[in-house]
This record gives sequence, C-alpha cells and structure tokens, in this order.
Amino acid sequence: MTPLLQVKNVTKKFGGLTANNDVTFDVAEGEILSVIGPNGAGKSTLFKMISSFMPTTSGEVIYKGEKISNNKPHIIAQKGVVRTFQETTIFKSMTVRESVVLAQHLRATATLPGYFFGTKAAHHDEEAFGRSADELLEFLGMSAIKNEQASNLPQGNLRALGIAIGLATDPKVLLLDEPFAGMNHDETTKMVELVRSVRDEKGVTVMLVEHDMPAVMSISDRIVVLNFGEKIAEGTPIEIQNNERVIEAYLGSADDEIGM
Amino acid sequence: MDQIPQILANGVYLGAQYAMIALGLTLIFALMNVLNFAHGQMYVIGGFVTYTIYGAWGIPFVIALAMSCITLAILGALIEKFLFAPVIKKSARDESTMLLAAAIAFLLDAVILLVFGEKQRGVPKLVDGTTILGDYTLVIANDRILICLLAIASIVGFISFMQFSKTGRALRALAQDRVAAQLMGVNVDRYSMIGFALGAMLAGLVGGLLVTITGINLGMGGPTSIKAFMMVMIGGAGVISGAIAGGIILGFLEAAGLALLASYGDITYLLIFVSLMIFLAIRPQGLMGKPWG
Amino acid sequence: MFNNVTSKQWMGLAAFLFAIFVAVPMFIAATGRTDFYFTLTMVALLSIASGGVWLTFYIGRINIGQGAFALAGAYASAVMITKFSFSFWLALPLAGVFSALVAVLIGLPILRLRGVYFAMITLVLTEVVKLTSLALDITNGARGITNIPRPDGLSVFGLTIIPDFGAMENPKLGFYYLACVLMVLAFATLYRIVNSRLGHLCRSMQQNEELASSIGVNISHIRLIVFAISSFFGGIGGAMVASLTQSVYPNTFQVKDSVDFMLNVFLGGLGYVFGPMLGTLVIYFGWDLLFVAKEFQLLIYSTILIILMLILPNGILSLRLKKPGSDVAKAADASGLELKEGK
Repeated sequence: MTPLLQVKNVTKKFGGLTANNDVTFDVAEGEILSVIGPNGAGKSTLFKMISSFMPTTSGEVIYKGEKISNNKPHIIAQKGVVRTFQETTIFKSMTVRESVVLAQHLRATATLPGYFFGTKAAHHDEEAFGRSADELLEFLGMSAIKNEQASNLPQGNLRALGIAIGLATDPKVLLLDEPFAGMNHDETTKMVELVRSVRDEKGVTVMLVEHDMPAVMSISDRIVVLNFGEKIAEGTPIEIQNNERVIEAYLGSADDEIGM
Repeated sequence: MDQIPQILANGVYLGAQYAMIALGLTLIFALMNVLNFAHGQMYVIGGFVTYTIYGAWGIPFVIALAMSCITLAILGALIEKFLFAPVIKKSARDESTMLLAAAIAFLLDAVILLVFGEKQRGVPKLVDGTTILGDYTLVIANDRILICLLAIASIVGFISFMQFSKTGRALRALAQDRVAAQLMGVNVDRYSMIGFALGAMLAGLVGGLLVTITGINLGMGGPTSIKAFMMVMIGGAGVISGAIAGGIILGFLEAAGLALLASYGDITYLLIFVSLMIFLAIRPQGLMGKPWG
Repeated sequence: MFNNVTSKQWMGLAAFLFAIFVAVPMFIAATGRTDFYFTLTMVALLSIASGGVWLTFYIGRINIGQGAFALAGAYASAVMITKFSFSFWLALPLAGVFSALVAVLIGLPILRLRGVYFAMITLVLTEVVKLTSLALDITNGARGITNIPRPDGLSVFGLTIIPDFGAMENPKLGFYYLACVLMVLAFATLYRIVNSRLGHLCRSMQQNEELASSIGVNISHIRLIVFAISSFFGGIGGAMVASLTQSVYPNTFQVKDSVDFMLNVFLGGLGYVFGPMLGTLVIYFGWDLLFVAKEFQLLIYSTILIILMLILPNGILSLRLKKPGSDVAKAADASGLELKEGK
C-alpha cells in the first residue's frame, strides 16, 4: 500500500546551521506516528515544513502522491493536512463553539456574497456547521464549555480547543505539535485517549511531535527518532525502546546537559 | 556624467542630516514601540528655538543650538512621562500610542503656531563663501560643509554614547528586551524617559542645524515626519544602523533624483515612494531589520 | 438577511433614521442654521470613508492611508464627469471601483506588512497620490479640477428618481439627503459583512493569522478583499466630497485627513461597527464648533483629543454598557487584546 504521507530527503538549513538533514520516512493511512528527539533535534522545523509554514531547503513532502511542501499553509489545509500549534494559539475572543463553527468554513457551499445576502445555501451551511460543531464538541467531551470565551479557558481545555479547531476542518492527516506538553499525568492520560479516539472513530491519521516519552510509547503505532536534525531510528515503540542509537542519543544529550 | 560629483556631495549632505532625524525616531520606536508622529514637529521647534536665540536675539549660534537640544530634551521627557507612559500602562494597544502621537503632533503644531507664528524664518549664514573644486564640477556652499560635518560628528557622538556610556548600554538593553532589562535591574520607567528625551533632542538638534540653511516654517513638520518614516522603513525599524543606512540612501536618492529628473517635473519623490513599496514587498523588514511574524 | 437583529435594535435604527432624515432638517429649518447642512453632509461622507478604515482595523491592520483612496476617488469622478462627460450617477460608483482597484494593486505588496510597518507605509500613500495628481496632466496638476457640475438628474424609463441637483431650489438639502442615504447603505453593508462569513474570517485573522491559515483561510486573499472594500468606501466618500465642493485639488485630502480618519474610527471605538459614525461626528463637529476659538482652535482640539486618549483608551462607545461582563464590553476588551498581538 502506498503511504498517505511521505517525507522525502527533507533538509532545512538556516544560514550555516542545519536543522534537518536528509530526513525520510512514511506515514501510513490510519496510523499514529510520533516524531521524537532531544531538544534541538529539529522536530518543530520538520513539522513546519510538512504543514508548509516553512519552505524546505531541499527534499519534498508528498501527500497522496502530490507534492505539498513549499506551498501555502491554507492550501495544504484545504487538501486535508492540518496542524495544531504548540503554544496555546486560539481565537481568543471567540467562544469555543464559534471557533469550531468558523473552522468548518472550508465546507461552505455558499459564496461570500451568498453569505452577505443571506441566501438559502448560506442558511443551510450555517445550520449544518452549528449541528456538526455541537456533534464534534460532544465527541470531544467539550459540550459543557462550548459557550465559554476561549480566553477564559484553563490550559488543558485550550489544548483540546486547538485540536477541536483542527478537527473541525475535517482533516485526513492531523499534525499535533506537542499535545502533551505541560500536562500532568491525568491530563496526559485523557489526551492520549482523545487522540486515539480521533484516529479510531474519525479515521484521521495522526502525526505528532512530542517530548513526553511515556505518552509517546503508549499512543504511537510507530515512532521516528531525530537527533541533530537526522533520523537515527524508526520503528514500533518496543523497537525504539531497545534501539542502542536512541538510548545513546538521549543519554548523550543528558551528558551534555550535565557537562554544561 | 559631470553631475556625479555634485550629486554625491549633495547626497552626503542630505544623508547626514536625514540619518540624524531617523536616528531619533528609531530610538523612540525601539525603546517604547511608539511611532512618534510628532517627530517632525519636534524638529520644527528645534529650528524655531535656534532662530529665536541666534537669529532674533543675536546670541552665539552654539548657545542657541544647545538651547534647542535642551528645550527638546525637556519637552520629550515631559511628553513621555505625562502622556505616553500613562497611556501605555492603561491601554495595551499599539493604536492608542499611535493616536496619542498624532494628537501630540497636532498639539505641537498649535503651540508652534501660537508661539512662533506661521511665517518662514531664516537666520544669518554661519560662514560665507562657497568651495569650488575641479573646474566647477563641484560647487558647495561652505555653510553646508560645516553643517554636514557637525551632523556627522553628532552621529558619531550619538553612536559612541550608545555604545560606551552606562546610560547608552542600559538603553540598548531596554531596546532589545524590555522584560529582560527590567530583570537585570534597569529602571525601565526612568530610561524610557531618558530615551524619549534623547530622541526628541536629536530632532531638535537637526532642526537647530538646518535652520541656518533651509530656514524653518510651521509646515515643515509633517513632511519631515513622513521622510523619517520612509528612512526607518528602508533601514528597518528600531535598528540604529538601519536608520543611518535609510537616511543616507534617501539622501542620495533625493540628490540624484533632483539633479537627473529635473526636466520631468516634481516626480523624484513619487519614484522614491514607488520603489520603496516594491522594496518592502521583497524585504518587509527593511535592510537591517530583523525578520518578524 | 437581518434576521439576527433584535427588535430593540430595529427601534434604535428607526429612531436614528427619523433623526437624520426628519428631525435634523426640521431643526435646521426652525433655527435657520443652514450652514449645518454642509457640516453634517461632510460628517456623513467622511464617516463612510472612516467606515472603510474601521474594516481594515477589523483584520488587524492600522490604516492611515484612507486619504489616498478618497483623493483617488475624488479625482476619478471629477475626471470622468468633466473630461468624459459621464453622468454623476455612473461616475460615483466607478470612482469607488477605481479606488478599490488601486487598493488591490498597492495592497498586493504592502498587505504583507503588519502593525507599525503597515501603518507607516499607508501614511506614505496619501503623499504618493498627491504627488501623482501633481505630476499628471489629466488631473491638471496643482490647479486641480474646478467647476465640477452638480449631480445631474437620474431617471429610469422617463420616470425621474432623482432631480437635477443644479436645478434644485436647495441643493444643500439634496446633498444632505444623498450623503445620509449613502452613509446608511455603507454602514448597513459593514454591519452585514461583520455578521456574515467574511466578517468571521476577518475576525479569525485579526486574532491569529497563523491559526487562520492553518484551518485553510486564504489570508492574503481576504486581506485584499477587505482592503478593496475599505478603499471603495474611501473612493465613494472622496467622490462625493468633490461633487459637494465642486472641486478637487492635490491637497483636498492630506496626510492630516488620513490621520483624522483613523482618529474617527478610534474615537468611536474599534469594537463597534457604528463607532466610525459617532467618531466622525464628534471630531468633525467638534472641530467646526471650535472655529470660534480662532487661533486657539487647533490647541483646544488637540488638547481635548489627548485628554480623551488619557481617560477613554477604548473609544467613546466604550462608555455605553460598560457593565462588567456585558458582551459589548468584553468584545471591546478582547479586540483590544487581539490588536495588540498583531504587531
């Protein structure tokens, strides 16, 4: 089976600095794949290149046989590859439900003038978006807070809102940027379940970049490990846990930190 | 082609004074993220103070120039302390400070009108005569040479002040990262005021220098601000080297345009504006500015 | 199309329409202050242009270039009417379209800029249009275009809809009504935009452009649309001013006017669609009333502005309903926060 998403020989250089060097791996349809690595391994850069928020220096990202790197973010999103953000990037003055309704705009059947004049199609869209927003928030267990203004939400809910906004676009591939960062054990467990249900019930392929090792081990089907911008290993969680180069990389970086 | 030496000389002359105007504006911007619309008006006040003391009262130029600097420094400090600082604290928007700056520009215009009137004013030349080089390929008035040298000396003085004095270092720390500077023990309120005063003082200094050549009038404020904005955009906002580069580039473009395009009417600035827009489309952060967004 | 408007809002609208179309003319007839017609007509026209500026604020851009588009519109209509004998009623919308096209052309490069950078370049625009009008032959350079004929009559199938302004007994009243109608249309349009999908997309961009593009919003496209609409309003306002004063000069709209448009919008409050109207009224009328202060006019005016800025950083309309937790107050606070981030 051809993979859904292919990262092919992707390299990123900033001046003399190499953030990613010749990274290659595939993401199969319906899997949860994590990219891990010590700090500064180039995970975030890779992530930005896949979602076209940053151009590659060389190499390409291919989705369903079509090159999607070095494009514009909104075009990639329209194709079905949607990212979430590491920081709590949300629409601050909108309510949860408003944000999710808005994020469905790609499915609009009416044109902008159509909305302006309030045509039938526009009303139909608005109703449909409202309904599916309610369904999605129900699915994510966020119905209770749907009328809260986003800026008033606690940290944990913000992360969930970010995912809700991403899911509302009806993506084929969802790219999660450190979904567990800054979470305690309980929150992490909940989020792991949530991400899994996104895959199991919505059929969305998930790729995530993460630090939290236990969470990554429990959630991932496969893991790609980066170190100093290069891929050093790829495999199932068990394979990765027993991979010498991975252990070395993590221990090595620990040594560095002590050495400093 | 025989115009080239003259264009170059005019470019240096214009560039030096423009760079000083841009320096003041960019300093204030770097420190407080305030776009000082009133910069041109401050320049005009500086010119009028020198005119009054040197031109009208006949007191030596050096004292008049110093008074221009002092007046503007005090004015800048007061404006920062009683207007910008409270508004910045109360409202977190960029817009509010921008509007406040616009209102202050109007206010200063009103003050200039009431205190100095709306007549064009000029002062006696500092030095007479012209320097003629190379069989009339280069003709420069001596007072222009003097003012140009004074402007260059002021720029050098300003840069060394920012580089080597304790105040200068604190200001640079503040410009780089407000929060970090605060953590390092820099008195942010005090140095914001000092920085603003310094920026205003630079505007006053240029005003005092240039009144000896171009004279001064009420209407010069707005266009001066606009030129300063253009220089800052060319060089990159908030960067000292950028302000200097922007000033020099604009100076040379203007000198070249006025000499070469004279037969096409007044289109020099139109061309400069258009090329600025194209330039910014390619390089939004200006020459020396840091990329953002 | 306006089914989300509450009955209380309908009442407010009715009262407003009554005020501008019935009460004001009656008041002026009673007091004999016919000079107010010119002032109020200008307020209506300038508030249309300010409404455009408000819309660019709505996508998080500080627009200090509306004078440029007003001037472009004024010249476009004047040239069409005087040199090509267009009917005023055709020249007016075309002037708006012309400004919108200019906006698209200029917007393509500059709309990528944000915050202070965008503000600075738009400030320069007014100067560019002025210099262009000075340099071109068709705009008569510094002499400008004068003696622009008043709006002609408009009739459809022989039925006179609008009489010839030149033949009117009181063209001032005619202009006043026309300006008010245009203002109502402009703000109804703005209200609809803000409350329809385009407005929602704008809001998403105002709050976070990166997130907006990550969910597939074509932000550069929306920016262009918004800038074009904004400048269309500027062009209409400018063309009307040219027709009202029957002339246009390179300094009909100057940098100060561009700053004034921004002040109008800000004083009215960025969180409110109708803010620009109130802001324009206060600023223009205030300026006019201060005329009695003669040489102190500018001093008093700027002092009042500064004081307003010190005590009302969120605009005049923020006084209304400032109960903690009210939606309006919240929205205003929030929009303030967001705009700060767009730097």
